[in-house]
Amino acid sequence: MSESRVGALGAAGPAEPEARSRPVQVLLTRYGILWVTLALFIFLAITTEGFLRGANMRNVLDQQSLILIGAAFSTLTIIGGGFDISQAAVFITSGIVAVQALNASGSATVAVLAGVGLGLGAGVLNGVVVAYARINSFIATLATSFLWFGAGFLISDRSILRPASRDWSDLARQRVGLLTTATWFSIAIVALAWFVLARTKFGRHIYATGGNVEAAHLSGVNTRRVTAMVFALSGAAAGFAGTLNSARSGSALPSDDFSYVFSVIAAVVVGGTSIAGGEGAVWRTVLGALFLAFMVNGFNIAQVDPIWQRVIQGIVILVAVGLDSWARRSRRAA
Amino acid sequence: MAVPHVEFRGVSKHFGATRAVDDLSLVIGRGTVHGLVGENGAGKSTIGKLVAGVHRPDRGNMLLNGSPVAFRSPRDALAHGITVVAQELSLVPARSVRDNVFLGDEPARAGVVRTGEQRRRLEALVERVGIDVPLEAMVGDLPVAAQQKVEILRALGRHADLIVMDEPTARLSTEEAGALLSIISRLSAEGTTVVLVSHFLDQVLEVADVVSVMRDGRLVRSGPAGDETERSLVEAMIGRSLDANYPAKILPPASTPVVLEVAGLRAVTGGPTVDLQVRAGEIVGLAGLVGSGRSEILRAVFGAEPRAGGSVAVCGEPLRRRSTRAAIEAGVGLIPESRKDQGLLLGRSIRENVTLPHLSLLSRLGCVRRRSEVRAAREAAADVDIRSASLEQTALELSGGNQQKSLFARWFLDARSVLLADEPTRGVDIGAKRAIYDLLVQAAATGLAVVFVSSEIDEVIGLAHRVLVVSDHAIVAELAGEQLTENRILEAIFGTGSQEIT
Repeated sequence: MSESRVGALGAAGPAEPEARSRPVQVLLTRYGILWVTLALFIFLAITTEGFLRGANMRNVLDQQSLILIGAAFSTLTIIGGGFDISQAAVFITSGIVAVQALNASGSATVAVLAGVGLGLGAGVLNGVVVAYARINSFIATLATSFLWFGAGFLISDRSILRPASRDWSDLARQRVGLLTTATWFSIAIVALAWFVLARTKFGRHIYATGGNVEAAHLSGVNTRRVTAMVFALSGAAAGFAGTLNSARSGSALPSDDFSYVFSVIAAVVVGGTSIAGGEGAVWRTVLGALFLAFMVNGFNIAQVDPIWQRVIQGIVILVAVGLDSWARRSRRAA
Repeated sequence: MAVPHVEFRGVSKHFGATRAVDDLSLVIGRGTVHGLVGENGAGKSTIGKLVAGVHRPDRGNMLLNGSPVAFRSPRDALAHGITVVAQELSLVPARSVRDNVFLGDEPARAGVVRTGEQRRRLEALVERVGIDVPLEAMVGDLPVAAQQKVEILRALGRHADLIVMDEPTARLSTEEAGALLSIISRLSAEGTTVVLVSHFLDQVLEVADVVSVMRDGRLVRSGPAGDETERSLVEAMIGRSLDANYPAKILPPASTPVVLEVAGLRAVTGGPTVDLQVRAGEIVGLAGLVGSGRSEILRAVFGAEPRAGGSVAVCGEPLRRRSTRAAIEAGVGLIPESRKDQGLLLGRSIRENVTLPHLSLLSRLGCVRRRSEVRAAREAAADVDIRSASLEQTALELSGGNQQKSLFARWFLDARSVLLADEPTRGVDIGAKRAIYDLLVQAAATGLAVVFVSSEIDEVIGLAHRVLVVSDHAIVAELAGEQLTENRILEAIFGTGSQEIT
């Protein structure tokens, strides 16, 4: 008797559609960064005087613009299964190269092309080393970082460079409508990165390469070329950000400061793009960057000690990464 | 009647939404060899792990010698005389057999290990159970079969009187497996209870006193091994008569053109050459042992591995480039051996998984045309009958069967010439198995040349029009029609080369 019942169940089993995940849960977990950022925004808007003021908002966006430019394309690298630490070194050295080019040629166009070109070249080098020499991308870009930091000291002869032309700062600081040019540039770069990732065949190939390199290969994806290209783009983005930075600050100086790439990776990770690769989105990175910027801005207005600001930022990043790996584990277990 | 060694009363164990074991009531008698058989995922290994304290029941009671027990850990179960010899051995390779047997339980006086005492106890043990291994050899230097014996010695050295063995013969040669089976009989004669979880029905029937058959987490029946045959066990495992298991074979007429032509292919450098011709509508099965080179041949044909020599032509056009892209553009698809590791992007939607190789068809100027993509994915998913709430569900959320169907959908979307499938039914449940057989037949019926690899001889016989037996990267036999019998295939498999069975 129980025999036939089991048999009937077995026959009915495959006909049932797979259970759909509950929509509320999906909205909460998948768009977590959106709710958290919104909540922080509303909280600061209500509690902190001056937060919502136009000048303050413009400031927050302007400060994040350079980080967003790097982070938009770093998102592609991380989704593709890599890590580009060298963005910091490229950021610094491309600014130096741009100012040198400006002072030598007197042309802002040449200066921008030189800065972006250096970044692109550095990115291509990273791409070749990671994709074809198969060196772990974290280590490879750490190594090339020192290369570019060193190049920065050499090119600048260890001194602060000042742009000869006063117009140079307009590249980043001019007001166009409500926002600065740097902010407008960052919006354009973010839109470009979003389009590439979400709308193009290349974008799909990035997800496939980072998510399962063997499956991508067996689906005809040239995974090495994809990897090389995301690194090239990441370098070019850092080069552009560094060029803008020299305009924004009116100077370029060599250093070996990694903090730019730390801010970039923090934005990507807090946004919820998985460091394991294969999952994430550019809009997440934008929200991640805004969340961190609102937080810092709120702290500054409330005059929280900068030391404590760092501690809290560290905790936020740990929580973000922890949530990611927790969500991943619980999904795999189900 | 004597008190049973272990008794399950209404035990259930769930993993997420999966009922691994459902309302199980089962008696394991003291000193018996108790065989547990069933399909993958039927729950047999879970029972073993419940007995050994690896898992804890969600519901119901376990009784040991008539009194209820709840093991908190494998260590706790060991304290009650129960241990497990798993598929993956847990020995320390760089230590001697003797050290491994006493690992964690060294006879010592004031912290100093008593080597003489160890040696004496071990020799007595070896004498008693007739297990023959070099006691001072380094475990890492021993073959797998000997390592397994060390595991058993270790179990006995800890005074275990119930040993759970999970697929103990999976990595052994035929003779080694025979030797292990006689050790099992001897243990049972000595009064040790053995729970034997195995895929190898002949071995279970040879050595077990009682056989329990599991299906979909439920006990189908439990009875004396003498009352069962391999056929009766298989039918109980799959829940229907064997005869209805495969779709009818539709052989293409002899005049249909050859679609896939492989000549002088070397899958490995310096290896033998492989020649292969498959006509449209034909289903060719590659049989052979795991590691015989079946998968490598498929992958070399597809261009996933660089070919060490030879040529592959599809519809008369040679595939010049050794790339998967070239094969895909010629209308060839490969469903790899491991769908999770090699096939799917688990975190992405079914849609993205299905369309991944065909984005060029679905894009304009490098941009994916969403509407065409959704339409193509929906049609392919309908072709293979994926059961999902939506195509935007991630591959991770699907059952094994539906994941495998997604990979069929991937190639059905634009399959024009050849479908290669490596172990297409591995790890899918019984209902889905039949669906996948139907898909292979459907692919052939639409004019594809189908080549599949399977470790289940049954499946090869049931589906293939022609079977090529692979051994040591070479095709050693070609069987068709009346020759397609289990005996002929086994003869060809074991006639030459490797003896390792999995």
